Amino acid sequence: MVHQAIDILLIEDDPHDVELTLHAFQKQTIVLRVHVIKNGAEALEFFHGTGAYANRDPQLGPKLILLDLKVPMVDGLYVTRQIRASRTHRTTPVVVLSSSSDEPDLIKSYQLGINSYIVKPVDFEAFIDTAQMIVQYWLSLNRAPAA
Amino acid sequence: MSAALTAVLIAVFLLEPIGSLQVSRWEEILQIGVFLVVAVVVSALSEGRHRAERSLQARTKQLEDANRELDAYSYSISHDLRRPLRAIDGYSSIVLADYGAQLAPDVQRYLNLVRGRVQYLGQLVDDLLAFSRLGRQALNTRSLSPSDVVMDALNELKPELDRRGVDVRLHELPACEADSSLLRQVYVNLLDNALKFTRERQGPVIEVGARETAIQTVHFVRDNGIGFDMAYAEQVFGVFQRLDVQETYEGTGVGLAIVRRIIDKHEGEIWAEAEPDRGATFYFTLTGKKS
Repeated sequence: MVHQAIDILLIEDDPHDVELTLHAFQKQTIVLRVHVIKNGAEALEFFHGTGAYANRDPQLGPKLILLDLKVPMVDGLYVTRQIRASRTHRTTPVVVLSSSSDEPDLIKSYQLGINSYIVKPVDFEAFIDTAQMIVQYWLSLNRAPAA
Repeated sequence: MSAALTAVLIAVFLLEPIGSLQVSRWEEILQIGVFLVVAVVVSALSEGRHRAERSLQARTKQLEDANRELDAYSYSISHDLRRPLRAIDGYSSIVLADYGAQLAPDVQRYLNLVRGRVQYLGQLVDDLLAFSRLGRQALNTRSLSPSDVVMDALNELKPELDRRGVDVRLHELPACEADSSLLRQVYVNLLDNALKFTRERQGPVIEVGARETAIQTVHFVRDNGIGFDMAYAEQVFGVFQRLDVQETYEGTGVGLAIVRRIIDKHEGEIWAEAEPDRGATFYFTLTGKKS
């Protein structure tokens, strides 16, 4: 996957959230190439182009980053800061998928330059609808500069 | 300050040659003596005040720490409780959607019951968190038009209002002083409540208005729903207080408790008038007496 094109980069540690999020994306009409990163340290390697991601061509995407703020090893807000400071992915849209609508998190995330903040609903059908809206808006309607 | 003054007075008093004391000056010395006593008392009082201030500062810090802890606690509750709930609902939903055809009707029904209860629990977590945050949230009041706030709240409920063909009658509302986001929560909860309890009505009507009394503006939200017995008029505002025990009506029972807490924060009052089967009216004031 390291040298393959990616549509969506999902940064999420909880295995159930990963499985359900992937399932929600599989329910979409278009086939999406989703790459999953399960901790903050690996996310930093991805954005710095180090470790397993050395020499990765940024042209391969992702077109969209979905980020959970509570990822192990490195905090999600720190990851956001690194994405915005990176040479290769600073303009890639970042959508926070959070478990809570905690106001300080919301404010800090926007201050660090995220593009959208979504609270994952408990109702899974509502989440499938949410995933559809994310894909339609960020991968189809929205125009973002190339990496 | 008073300690410095005392020192200066003592110095002046000691530098005066004792021999030059005259009987006529005893009066002055007495005055100075009285002054010294007053200075010492003031100094002691001031020391006491400083001590009280220090203890108040320590107490404030303790409260701030406790508040921070509560914030961290509710943060972790909302993350850690909602996460497994999402997983339970997610897997149940996948089983129903992808394998439903292979399941006996009873199994499908049980899984749907699981989903219903899990979603209820998710709503309960959200509502209780909203309720607990309210207590610590600062009030940000400004002069506003309640009609705008009501329109905003109605927009949020528009899909259900349209689907059910509810006749919403919005009367003119005078400008008031309030926290707009909290007032919006008041109207969303009261309208949601009215929507819920008019569900079995043919021709549901919800009326939003205000009336001016001699001393204040009384806002109201009225419906022609199932109403309730006035014996329970106080109970409806308690957390977890639901009058329908059979769970005929969805909701966590926290909505009206949130409303009451917001009105309390505005130093207003809230009360309800109702009759079984003849609708309910919720009244509230925002600032107590009008200035």
